[in-house]
Amino acid sequence: MIRFEQVSKTYPGGHQALSHVDFHVEPGEMAFLTGHSGAGKSTLLKLISVMERPTAGRVRINGHDLNTIKPKQVPFVRRDIGMIFQDHRLLMDKSVFDNVALPLIIEGYSVQEARKRVLAALDKVGLADKYRHFPMMLSGGEQQRVGIARAIVTKPPLLLADEPTGNLDPKLSMDIIRLFEEFNQVGVSVLIATHDLGLIARLKYRTLTLKEGRLINDGLEEQPA
Amino acid sequence: MSLLFRNRVVEKGAQQQTSLPFWRRILMIPVHHLQQAVSSLGELWRNPIASLMTVAVLGLSLTLPSALYVMVKNTSQIAGQWQQASEISLFLRTDASQQSVATLKQQISIRNDVESVQWVTKQEGFEQFKATSGFGETLDYFDSNPLPDVLVVTPAQQARTPARAQALLEELQQAREVQMGKLDVDWLSRLQAIVDLIQDVLAALALLLCISVILIVSNTIRLNILSKRDEIVIMKLVGATDAFIQRPFLYTGVWYGVAGGVIAWLATQLLIWWIGSAVTNVTELYQSQFSLSGLTVGEMLMVWLVAVALGLIGSFLAVRKHIKSIEPEA
Repeated sequence: MIRFEQVSKTYPGGHQALSHVDFHVEPGEMAFLTGHSGAGKSTLLKLISVMERPTAGRVRINGHDLNTIKPKQVPFVRRDIGMIFQDHRLLMDKSVFDNVALPLIIEGYSVQEARKRVLAALDKVGLADKYRHFPMMLSGGEQQRVGIARAIVTKPPLLLADEPTGNLDPKLSMDIIRLFEEFNQVGVSVLIATHDLGLIARLKYRTLTLKEGRLINDGLEEQPA
Repeated sequence: MSLLFRNRVVEKGAQQQTSLPFWRRILMIPVHHLQQAVSSLGELWRNPIASLMTVAVLGLSLTLPSALYVMVKNTSQIAGQWQQASEISLFLRTDASQQSVATLKQQISIRNDVESVQWVTKQEGFEQFKATSGFGETLDYFDSNPLPDVLVVTPAQQARTPARAQALLEELQQAREVQMGKLDVDWLSRLQAIVDLIQDVLAALALLLCISVILIVSNTIRLNILSKRDEIVIMKLVGATDAFIQRPFLYTGVWYGVAGGVIAWLATQLLIWWIGSAVTNVTELYQSQFSLSGLTVGEMLMVWLVAVALGLIGSFLAVRKHIKSIEPEA
């Protein structure tokens, strides 16, 4: 599903964020991506969502080489990837419903057509009764779940999450992870970047560990550091 | 539209269809445009001061050229009226006999390009001159009447343009009895030249004002875009194309034009109404029945169209430059 082939990324100015990263996340697999701040987690996610381009090597999604994607095609790549952010990235002046409906509206759905799917997505994250609220009225955990509803409303085959549990307490974090597990069980590939090693240790999932831009461990995280 | 997963629906089996069928997508385009047009109108409504300023600048900038245009249009009409009054004076030789003058008058009056001929005898001419020149009594000291007989020829409608009238004059001067002919066409040409000059100035002025309107609209839209930076980043992250993101801003530009056009009408009509009474005073002094004509419906539509086009061009310049440059970088 996601295949990195000897990917390196050097930012202008010389900072090498990733060097020779090589891995493959299978379709329907759920994996964690971890490492200290600055280890290259964000860069790796940005390469998948085409916010950045690799300096060397190749990123493939479902066999498609992202290097061949033209700037005009980037939006269509992003429609296939559900993305979840630490800071939620919600439109603060729009209701929860409008936020979740945004990807569908962008695809050309009318509000009426989108309605059923938006409510279904909100129901899945347990916020069906709050669709009229504005993000400011919700707690951090609820805002994060709105972000997740927005990511899954188009039923993408791939979910990327960047520190989805960043500011949440352990119980809420576990709820969020359970949510991802549910999506994973219906066949969605999930890649979660987090530095919450305690959380990872409690779950037995494949973990990709980055250190200073290199992939130092691929497999089960044995000892939480 | 799925780029990476062409068979996304099939691949995922029993799931609900993700993409809309093609015809449905096409059908939704006008609906979406309408929705976005209405929502950008609402956006203007929520931020009335800033949008009102831009609209006012747009409207008032168009008022100046359109008011000047009305002036030029009216001046051309006046010039047209005066042009119709052009007449040719033929001064006859003093030794020409009454008989030959009568024959000449007859000959001229049957021409196609002549409407009428009036014979002003030297005596009548002298009386007229005495009455209108202001010399009055002084003229009584003349021993004899120095004026010649004059034939006043009014050209037919089709021969009244300066060029045709000139040609007619040259032809009539050939007659033996005619000492000299005179057509006061120079001042007409001068008036025409001035009107042309004003028209050129008007065109240059209108062009400059249009450019400044485009720049002002473009700057307002640019500020709009920058203030919505976060929103644009989010839309790009969830897969919005540049075209989708820029549409509301383009509609904002169109609305600026629509409202600016209306302001331009109102201001122009107000200006004409204001100047109109002054113009009437002037024309009454010249005993001329003349009323200032304003913008016709067609011209109003033209002003509106120009305003909308300027708004659209201005916003287009802004979105083309700035939407592309805002990219997510989290």
